[in-house]
Amino acid sequence: MIFLAITANYATASAADRITASIDPPIIQANMGDKITYVGTITNNSDRAVTNIIAYISLANVTQGRESPMDLEDWSANKAIKVDTIPPHGTYKGQWPMRLIDSGSYVAYITVVDKNDNTPISSTMSRLEIKRVLRLNPNNVLPVAVGEPMIIGVILTFIVIRRRKRII
Amino acid sequence: MKIAYIMQKEIRESILTPKGFLWYAITSMILSVLSYLFLTNSELSLLDQGQMLYMIMNFITALGILIGLVFGADAFAGEIERGTLEALLLSPITKTEIATGKLGAALTNWGILFAISLPYLFVVGKGGQNLFVGIAYLALLGTFLAITFSAFSMGLSSRIKSVKNSLIISFFIFLLAGSPIFLSAAQRGTWFGRIIDFINPFAGAINTFDSVVIDSQGFGYQAGRVAIICGYTLLSLWFLKRSVSRLEM
Repeated sequence: MIFLAITANYATASAADRITASIDPPIIQANMGDKITYVGTITNNSDRAVTNIIAYISLANVTQGRESPMDLEDWSANKAIKVDTIPPHGTYKGQWPMRLIDSGSYVAYITVVDKNDNTPISSTMSRLEIKRVLRLNPNNVLPVAVGEPMIIGVILTFIVIRRRKRII
Repeated sequence: MKIAYIMQKEIRESILTPKGFLWYAITSMILSVLSYLFLTNSELSLLDQGQMLYMIMNFITALGILIGLVFGADAFAGEIERGTLEALLLSPITKTEIATGKLGAALTNWGILFAISLPYLFVVGKGGQNLFVGIAYLALLGTFLAITFSAFSMGLSSRIKSVKNSLIISFFIFLLAGSPIFLSAAQRGTWFGRIIDFINPFAGAINTFDSVVIDSQGFGYQAGRVAIICGYTLLSLWFLKRSVSRLEM
């Protein structure tokens, strides 16, 4: 029994120790609309090459009352990266650029899945704080958005008045 | 000259009237709200600028088709119902010239819509990618589609001789043309979706806008779709000519 327990414990420990993952930077403070890039580092700590692993990023909203996992498609992030091989004691660096589309507090982390192991490996979490930005007249939209309907309204009024005069 | 006269008459009766001009006021207001939301709303403003431009181009194209269909449905059936077609047919002008004049008025309407949309396209696409080439494609394909749907609807109007029925069939065609909107991205990727995309001129136009504005692809990628839309334009002009030649009271 003791032997089985030790063996099982050893197997679990070796799965987690063989590959480790980390995410950089550990903290980001940015504004809505900014583009940021997370760098995930996957390290093969074993003496054998690791092949065909999948690494993906997850983002969770941890703002009070809005806790939920985020759909990264909306954040223009490439979610998964397939890594063909990492040599013994080698590392792989993957990049996950994303556009920050909503304000709040988030955590991001990398998960690595190796089909030869039963346990996925997760990195530590990176804290992401996004501040709301309010813009009232970007690209000078207001003169067009207000001015054009007004000009068309004036022409419409002119047509109506001319018609009425003709009828009278 | 005779064609120009018919065109003038149509523009006076359908466009330069309070009711006719109201279309443009409403279009402008909708475009104002859309553009302002795209650029200032916290979530929408974070859409890619190419994506915003693409959405406004789709809206303008759909509106151009819709108004073209309504114009076309009224073209001959409306004259019959108002009792004015007889006088028009007795005047020294051929049926083809009447149809061409009416089609010219429908195209003028598309031209006004396009002109109204230009400031919005510039504001939304400012500093983004492929603004000018996108506008050029909108002008080209929008004109082809305006001719296609207006001519088809006019032909239908001269055959059916009822505004109500022409309108119903035209709206049905409009819904069919707008089918890409009802299909999800996955459904459009299936063989059925691909066939619908291939044979539908409106889908051809919006796929071209997507390809040009968002994916920055060159004319080589668009040539097939543009050729199909041109084919539809010629087909609908032939349908109009054939329908009008059989027009009788």
